[in-house]
Amino acid sequence: MTDTATAGGPTVNTVLGPVPARELGVTAVHEALLSVVPGAEYAPEVSMDRAEIFDALARKLKDFRDHGGKTVVDSTGMFHGRDVRLYEALSRSTGVHIVASTGMGPEEMLGGYFLTPQTNPPTPWPAEKFADLFTKEVTEGMVVPRVERRGPAGLVATAAARDGMTATEESLFRGAARTALATGVPVSIRYGRDALHDLDVVLDERLPADRVVVGGLDRRDAVDTGAPLEVARRGAFVALDHVGLDDGGTHVTDRERASLVLDLVEAGFGHRILLSGNAIGVAKGHPAYDLPFSHVLTAFVPLLASMGLGDEEARRVLADNPQELLALR
Amino acid sequence: MSKVNTVLGPVAPEELGVVAVHEHIGYGMPGSELDTRWWKTPEQRYEETVPKLRRFREYGGGTFVDATGICNGRDVDYYKSLSEKTGVHIVACTGFVGGDTALPYFARQSVDQLTRLFVHEITVGIGDTGSLAGVIKVGVSRGGRMTELDKRIYRAAARAAAATGVPVLTHLAIDPEPAVAVFREEGLPLDRVLFGHADDGLNAPKTPHRWIFEQGGRIGFDTFGYETELEDPPFWARPRQERLDHFLGLLNAGYLDQLLVSADANCSPLGWPGVKGHTVNYIFEDLVPDLRGAGVDDATITALLEDNPADFLTIRA
Repeated sequence: MTDTATAGGPTVNTVLGPVPARELGVTAVHEALLSVVPGAEYAPEVSMDRAEIFDALARKLKDFRDHGGKTVVDSTGMFHGRDVRLYEALSRSTGVHIVASTGMGPEEMLGGYFLTPQTNPPTPWPAEKFADLFTKEVTEGMVVPRVERRGPAGLVATAAARDGMTATEESLFRGAARTALATGVPVSIRYGRDALHDLDVVLDERLPADRVVVGGLDRRDAVDTGAPLEVARRGAFVALDHVGLDDGGTHVTDRERASLVLDLVEAGFGHRILLSGNAIGVAKGHPAYDLPFSHVLTAFVPLLASMGLGDEEARRVLADNPQELLALR
Repeated sequence: MSKVNTVLGPVAPEELGVVAVHEHIGYGMPGSELDTRWWKTPEQRYEETVPKLRRFREYGGGTFVDATGICNGRDVDYYKSLSEKTGVHIVACTGFVGGDTALPYFARQSVDQLTRLFVHEITVGIGDTGSLAGVIKVGVSRGGRMTELDKRIYRAAARAAAATGVPVLTHLAIDPEPAVAVFREEGLPLDRVLFGHADDGLNAPKTPHRWIFEQGGRIGFDTFGYETELEDPPFWARPRQERLDHFLGLLNAGYLDQLLVSADANCSPLGWPGVKGHTVNYIFEDLVPDLRGAGVDDATITALLEDNPADFLTIRA
């Protein structure tokens, strides 16, 4: 633990160890640094040049820093390209705090070890085993597969299938909630078909709602049914984390996102809003999404301001709320 | 020129010697690398593996075919160092143990993409190792029936085998009708296919051995040694005498040319405890004595351990 971390006050787990929560500053809570579709690393057509990957990520992190960003959360979990040693070097060289996640999901992204284990019958992993796997990534450190453990995970991220949560995804969500309860890190969920249903699964584990961030609430189907407001009413964090994405249907536009932010503030939930771009620093095995990590700061915050959001509210959304979410309890 | 692809380069079939045709240096389900309970230091892995390969060599073993699929911990650089230091030829595979061991990137691929992958690993190389795959691994997912993904992989394997001349080796010989249909449709002669794990306790009763022989396929009694008599037998174990009798029955019925044997052991398992007391050397320590004891002559044993695998593994022009 660093000297500053022992000085008291809540801390956040970064890849370089715990830092005082108040040091986080402006934080992008749902981004991807290196994002690798599981298996792509073995494909002959996919190059994994570490120097090139480092360079691309360093440029993007410096751009974020140059626009006032201080902390990036990599929400890809433990099996989608996470490279802890790379992130340590990036954080040291750019000065940006990097919070990495444990967790997995949706089911489609899991390895056979969890879905068809070498038992008869091949029963998929239950919640308790996922909880144990994820908890150790916080208490003992994140794995570099078959090599070593490194620093502690700062959150647990999981996701459900778009056409509805599967049985194994319920185990993942419950396991993630148990890890959050056991370790004090928050849970970040990407809901499948129904945000409230999926949120209720983690709340059913008696995890306080303010330890949960529900991502993807700028999906049009969620906005149309009023899910963002309802999630906030239950006490969970509402992540509008596709800022900058205008995909002509699945998600709302930035202007609609901005209206939603103002509506939530108006309804008294300014302390529950989180913004992020779901950008992909480097994509392997799937299409690139080269939105700058700074997009929220350079484009969306000015839009919010033009629509009437005050500086204090903006600061709260960009810095205070992520700090509250990520501070270990 | 006849040849077989090993991790250290092509060799003449005459050099193969005794072949263990379905083995694993180390196997783990994809994702097991995240679970520290299975981790071993490199020292431990070499310590568990090298003496087994050296013993294999001392017994007269020549070639070890590693049937560990792409996402199951296949590690060709490691195999190269083992082969170079122990003198055992190691043949690595392309392909997947089953659809349920293909990670999402590959599970989403089309037959064409998978075919290109297999052909690349057979003709250009596996990763940046420079080593060429010598067999194509395919298999039936857990559940007993071929899944849509299994069938896609089988079809790609059939095309890659037809294009390159490398043979196909299967994990499980259950539900073989769709597999045979795919191989026929793709024009792959069935003597280029070894239907493996036809002998284990769980699957032998569900495997139509004679039907596969009648189609022209080869059959692998390649889980020799996974016996109920072991201290802690796995769920696929089978009584020793029952397996042997089953094998002898097929041998005596005239199927020698289509039979292959192996032990499917892990030198140093990667994502499971492994089975204590079971190694590739079961072939020499138990199987050969058992066969001799049952009156099988040396020529037959040579056919099973040398001639048949050499014929199977030789790249067919």
